[in-house]
Amino acid sequence: MEKYYDIDDIITEEETVSVIFQKAASGVGIDPSSETDFVEVGSKVEVPFWLAHELQLRQAISVNVPTCFNQKTRLEIQADSACVDLRSRCPYFYEFGCKIASTVGDRTIGFLLLSAFKSRYKEVLTKAHTAALTATSRFSMILTKEETSLYEAAQSSMAAFKKWRMGGPRFQRASVLGRKRKSTD
Amino acid sequence: MAGQSNPNLSLFSAEELEFVAEDEIVEIIPNLRMEPLNLICGDFGPFFPQIVTQVPLWLAVALKKRGKCSIRSPEWMSVEKLTQVLEAERDSQEMSDQLPFHYVEISRLLFDHARDDIPDAYMVRSLIEDIRDVRFHKVESDLEAFSGRTVAVKIKNLSAMEVNIVRPFIGRALQAFFKHDSPELIPDPERVADRRQQVPNSAPRRHLRR
Repeated sequence: MEKYYDIDDIITEEETVSVIFQKAASGVGIDPSSETDFVEVGSKVEVPFWLAHELQLRQAISVNVPTCFNQKTRLEIQADSACVDLRSRCPYFYEFGCKIASTVGDRTIGFLLLSAFKSRYKEVLTKAHTAALTATSRFSMILTKEETSLYEAAQSSMAAFKKWRMGGPRFQRASVLGRKRKSTD
Repeated sequence: MAGQSNPNLSLFSAEELEFVAEDEIVEIIPNLRMEPLNLICGDFGPFFPQIVTQVPLWLAVALKKRGKCSIRSPEWMSVEKLTQVLEAERDSQEMSDQLPFHYVEISRLLFDHARDDIPDAYMVRSLIEDIRDVRFHKVESDLEAFSGRTVAVKIKNLSAMEVNIVRPFIGRALQAFFKHDSPELIPDPERVADRRQQVPNSAPRRHLRR
């Protein structure tokens, strides 16, 4: 519960996963394709992760591996991880991966995340500190949330340094100083 | 102002580092007669015209602004010395230890306030820029070595400004690596090395057990 107030964590858990119901459920409107408020056994429904996780603990459903961790994405990441647009697939790719790995029980997701991050990290490192802002805006479009924070940390510290080096006014006049004092009597 | 606006991002801003660097000692040639100054950080002076004395950089800058002294350019800020350093930096992978910890800040302060006291100022400035670029490139290539179970990376003789620039990035990168390489996600450390080696390795092992 240490991340209860973490907005990123909340958004991560909103990510939908496709699940197959193992038990029938009535009185719930989570299956938009069904006409009644009744979910049959074996029906395939997209639910947010937080719900899927709870339902799975009660063994009501089985969770499928989400599309952003399927074989096709894996092959793309193995081929050239730096160019894969992970943001459009899942902006919280790594956080979601950590969560889904234990739910789905897929050990290989951990490896996938690590190897993807390792190679994409190098790309972020070289681009963040050197390239100009305009040239890299296209690159930053394909980064996930976590990579973006890394990228922006590097860029802003570099930008702050460059600003300092270029100079400019060393002392900023406090806004209070300019004002005239009101007479108190 | 990275440090002030966002406390998580970086410990110091460039301005704060500059403030810290102002405590470095420089030599000045005063042109006034003055009693010694007894400050908390030490006693400076007495000051006699044309007699070289040592003062902190902030005092030197303050006197210089009032036209009361000229600052002696530090020994390392000469064209010959800097050319040497630049060559040393280009030749080896190691960072050279010949520049002071605050070389970026000191040089900027001197260029801003005492440009006329530095011989070959233009050349010195471009040399320092070159050295900084070469050194920063080395830092980047050192950081590329980060991978799964990195707990620390050793980079010798990093200067204050250089370490301040990469600090937020390194912190976050190490955190992310730590998270993705946690034993919960990847149970067997031996398998981390290479996924492809897994298959040939596991086959003979099973053989032995039979």
